[in-house]
Amino acid sequence: MVIDLDKCTGCGACAVACQQENNVSFRPDESDKLRTIAWMTLYRLDNGKDYPEHREAMLPRPCMQCDSPHHSPCTFVCPVNATVRDEHTGIVDHIAVRCIGCRYCMVACPYHARSFNWWDPKWPKTMEAMLSPEVSPRMRGVVEKCTFCHHRLNRARDRARINGEDPDGVVYTPACAEACPTGAITFGNLRDPHSDVARLAKDPRAFRILEKLHTEPKVYYLSSDQWIHKQSDNDLS
Amino acid sequence: SWRPSPERGEITETTGTCLLCPGGCGIQARLVNGHRAIYVKGNPDHAVSRGGLCPVGAAGLQYLYAPYRITQPLKQTGKRGDPQGFQPIAWNEALKIVADKLAAVRKKGLPHTVACITGQDRSSVTDLWKQFFAAYGSPNLYTMPRHSDSTRLAVALATGYDADLGFHLEKATYVLNFGAPLLEGWAAPVRIQQIFSRWQTEQPGLPKTELVHVESRCSLTASKADRWIACKPGTEAALALGIAHVLIREKLYDAAFVSEKVFGFEDWTDAAGALRKGFKALVLAKYSPKDVAAVTGVDAQVIQELARELARQKNAVVLWGQSSDTPNNLYHDLAFLALNALIGALSDKAMVSLVPSQPWQALPEPAMDLEAFKGLGQKPLGQPTSVPKTKVRPNTLHAFLNALANGEEYPIELLFVHEANPAYGLSENTLAVQALQKAGMVVSFASYLDETAAYADLILPNHNAFERLDDVIGLPGAPFAFYAVATPILKPHYDTKSTGDVVLGLAKTLGGTVAQSLPWKNYEEVLKLRAAKIAEGATGLLVDATFDPASVEPGVSLRANFKKAADVWKKLTAGSCWVEAPQALDACTTPSGRFELACQGLLASVSTNAGDELFMAHYKPLPPSGNAGELPLLLTTYRSLSLAPGYVPNAPFMNKLLPDDLLLKQDVFVEVHPETARKLGLRHKAKAVLKTPLGEAPVRVRVAPTVPADVVALPEGLGHTAYDEYVQGKGVNANSLVEVHLDPVTGLGTVWATRAQLRLA
Repeated sequence: MVIDLDKCTGCGACAVACQQENNVSFRPDESDKLRTIAWMTLYRLDNGKDYPEHREAMLPRPCMQCDSPHHSPCTFVCPVNATVRDEHTGIVDHIAVRCIGCRYCMVACPYHARSFNWWDPKWPKTMEAMLSPEVSPRMRGVVEKCTFCHHRLNRARDRARINGEDPDGVVYTPACAEACPTGAITFGNLRDPHSDVARLAKDPRAFRILEKLHTEPKVYYLSSDQWIHKQSDNDLS
Repeated sequence: SWRPSPERGEITETTGTCLLCPGGCGIQARLVNGHRAIYVKGNPDHAVSRGGLCPVGAAGLQYLYAPYRITQPLKQTGKRGDPQGFQPIAWNEALKIVADKLAAVRKKGLPHTVACITGQDRSSVTDLWKQFFAAYGSPNLYTMPRHSDSTRLAVALATGYDADLGFHLEKATYVLNFGAPLLEGWAAPVRIQQIFSRWQTEQPGLPKTELVHVESRCSLTASKADRWIACKPGTEAALALGIAHVLIREKLYDAAFVSEKVFGFEDWTDAAGALRKGFKALVLAKYSPKDVAAVTGVDAQVIQELARELARQKNAVVLWGQSSDTPNNLYHDLAFLALNALIGALSDKAMVSLVPSQPWQALPEPAMDLEAFKGLGQKPLGQPTSVPKTKVRPNTLHAFLNALANGEEYPIELLFVHEANPAYGLSENTLAVQALQKAGMVVSFASYLDETAAYADLILPNHNAFERLDDVIGLPGAPFAFYAVATPILKPHYDTKSTGDVVLGLAKTLGGTVAQSLPWKNYEEVLKLRAAKIAEGATGLLVDATFDPASVEPGVSLRANFKKAADVWKKLTAGSCWVEAPQALDACTTPSGRFELACQGLLASVSTNAGDELFMAHYKPLPPSGNAGELPLLLTTYRSLSLAPGYVPNAPFMNKLLPDDLLLKQDVFVEVHPETARKLGLRHKAKAVLKTPLGEAPVRVRVAPTVPADVVALPEGLGHTAYDEYVQGKGVNANSLVEVHLDPVTGLGTVWATRAQLRLA
C-alpha cells in the first residue's frame, strides 16, 4: 500500500469505511486513545514551527504488514500463533479465536497498530443490522488489527477459481483505498514490478515509518515535505 | 448472545445518491438479503464524486440505523420541550391536526402567520414548499443560512441575474482563496477533494495549479496550500481590495473587460444627476498596500507581490467565504466579486460563471386566490425594509426568528421545520430555541429526535436520507447546472412518510386553489415531471464519470444525448446526472446593462445622500459587541471534515477520529497560541472557562501555534444536547457562543468574530 500524504486531507473517510467494513466496535466515549479500537488511525504531524510558519499534516496509519525476514515483530512474540504472516500473500493476520489476550504483540508492534478488546463489543440494538456477515465481531479479551481487508482478497480469489482464472493473479481494493475521496491510497501487489504500488514505492518522495528498525513495512508514504520525512524516523536518525 | 452474529445471506448492490449534505455524491450500498444495508461506498461511475466519499457519507448507515430515529408520528402531550411527553399518534390523525390548523388560520384571514424553515434548498421538496406557500399565502418560507444567501444578492446587484456562482477549478492554474475551507467540507466536498487531488498530481505538459490560501488560522487547507498568507481574523476583504489597488495602480487588470463590460469603475452619475466616485477612485484612495497592511497584518510587499502574481496568470480565480452555511457581509462579497472582475475571471475566460439556481422553470405558476395574494403580499416577519429589491428574495432567517422570539409585528400560528435543526445548528442557536417556544404550533418533519424536534408539538417523520426518493438540483460552487435523482437504497423500515408526499397530501385536503397548485398524485410524479422537463428542453447531457467539467462553456448549450422522458427517468434513477452549461455573462440586466461595480440597485435601499462607498465593495467589518477590556480575545470557530456540523450529528464512527487534544471525555479543546497561554497562565490541557457576550462554557486548552496571539479557535459540530449517549454532552456548541451581526444592507445574519475571555477554571 502507498499513501500519498500530499494528497491526503485527513478527512477520515478511510478510517470510517474501515470500521464499517470490519465491524469495528465503538463506545460512547472514544477519547481514551489507549483503550479505543482503531485499525486505521489518523496521526497529526506538525513542523514544530511558530505561527505563521506552522504547518500540520495528517498521516493515516493502517497495519504496516511488516515484511522483516522470518517474522514480523508481532508474529515473533505471539505464544499461540494467533498472529501469523501468510508468506504467500504477505498479509499479517490475526486470528481472534486463537488469541489469549496476552498483548505481547501490542508491546512488540512499534506502530501501535494493534488494539485490545477491553470490553465485550456492544452495538446499539438498531445498529446490529449494519454488521457485515463477512467479518466476525471480536470478543472481549482479544487483540485485533488491520488485515488489509483480506476477506476481500478471499472473495476475489473465490471468484477467480469459479471463473477458472488464476487466484494468485487477482487484484482487490481494501475499504480504506476504496473510500478515499482524493485517491491518496494506492493498493496493489508490491512484488509485481508493473503495479502502481511498485512504481510509487520507488518515487523520490517515498519513505516508510521507522525504517531503521528494519521491520520492512509494506506500507509506503509519499510526501514532498522534508519535515514529514524527518519525523518518520522519530529520533532514531 | 454476548456478541452479535450478523445474519448471512445473498449480498447485492444498489446505487443511490447521498443526501446527507448538498454535495450530491453518487453512492452504492451492499445489502444482505435485500433488506439489511452493511456498507456504503462511492459510485465510481458518478459524474461528480467518481467513487469518492466523505466520512459522513461513509458513516451514513449509522444514521439509517441510529437509535434516535423517529419511528412513527409523535404528538407532544406534555409541555413543549419535554422529551417524555411525546406519544405515538396515527398518521391520519396527525395529518388531520395539521390540515385543520392550516384551514382555520386561513379562514381567519391570517395565512401569512404560517411559516416554514427548511434545511433543504436543493431538493424538489423545497419547490413544493414554495408552491404551497405561494398558493396558501405566506411570505414566511426560509431555508437554513448558506453562503449563497449573500452571494446571490451580490450577484443580483452586480449582474441582475438570480444565479449561484460556479468556479472553474478544473481549468484554474492559480487559485487565490480568501478563507474558504476547501478541504474542511466546502461547497460539494468530494468534488473539491478530487480537484485538490488533481492539483497535487503532476500532469505532463500541464502547469501545476497553485493554491494560495488566506486565513488567520493554520487550518488543513492553509497547511496544504502552496502558500499560506496569514491575516488577522475577518480582514480578508481588505486584503482583496489592497490587491485590487495594486492591480489598478499598476494597470495590471483586464482593461478590455473593464472598459467594455463594467459599469462604475470610473466615476459615474446617479439617477438624480449627482456625480459619484467610481471603484477606481475609491480603491486608489483607501486601499494602498500600506493602509491594508495595517488592517490585515499582511506585509505591503506581499500584497504587491500577490497582485502581480495574480495578474501574470492565464487562468486565475478568486474564491472566498467562511463555511458554506455562513452568509457574508454584502460589501465583502462584492469586493471578491470585483477582484474576479478585475482579473478577467468573469470575461470570456469564464473562470467564474453564473449558474441559474433553477435550470428550468421550477413548477407551473401557482393558482392564487385573493387570500393568497393578500397573505403573500405581507412583509416577511422581521425583514428590514431596507433590503435591496432584486430578483433574489433575501433569506432573512435571523431577523424572522428575532421578531418571533420578541413578539414583534405579528405572531406565527404554525411553524413547519423540515430537515433543519436550527435549535442546534443556527449561529446564536438560543434565538431559535426562544422563537420555537413562541410559535403557536410547531410541526417537525425530522427523521431524528434532534434539538429542534424536541420543541415540536407534532412530528411527522420523514424517511431517512438513504430510504427516500428525492433529488438534487444544482451543486454548490460547480460551474454547470446539475440534476440528479436520489433513489432509495432500501425500503423504509419504520412508519415514516416522505415529506414531499405529506405536503401534497396537505394541499389536497385544503382544496381550492392550494390543491389546484399542487395537483400531483405523489412526490414521485413531481420528480418524473423534472425528467419530462429535461426531455422537453432537449439540451444538456446525461453523464457518467467520463464527464469533463472543463469542456463546458458558458452560454453554449450542450447537445442532448437523450430523447424520451422515460429514458431520461430510467437513466437518472440508474445514477446518471444531467448537466448543462451555465449562462453567458453577455447581457446583464442591471440598470446600466453591464457588470456593476457601483451597484445602482442599491439606490433604492440606501439614502440619497449616502456616501459613494455604500454603492460598492468596501471593507466594513461590523464591530463585535462587548468590552475589549473584559473580553480581550477574539473567538473564531473552525470545522473539519471529520466533525459533522450540519443537520446530522457526528456518527460514533467519526467520534473515533477525533484526537484527544480536540475532545477528551466531555471536554472540547480550544486552540490558543503559546504566547496567549503564557499570558493567561494556561498550560496545555488545562481546564478553562471560555466567555463571550453570549455566555460561558467549560473548555480545555490546546496550546499550539495554529492561531495568532489573542485569538482563540473553537471547533464546530460538538455540544449536542439531543440524540443518544454516543453524541450528546460532548464539548460545547460553538453556535451558542458566537455572535451574529445582522448585515445592515441585506438583513442576513453574518458571523465573523466574537470577543472572548479565557480564564483558568
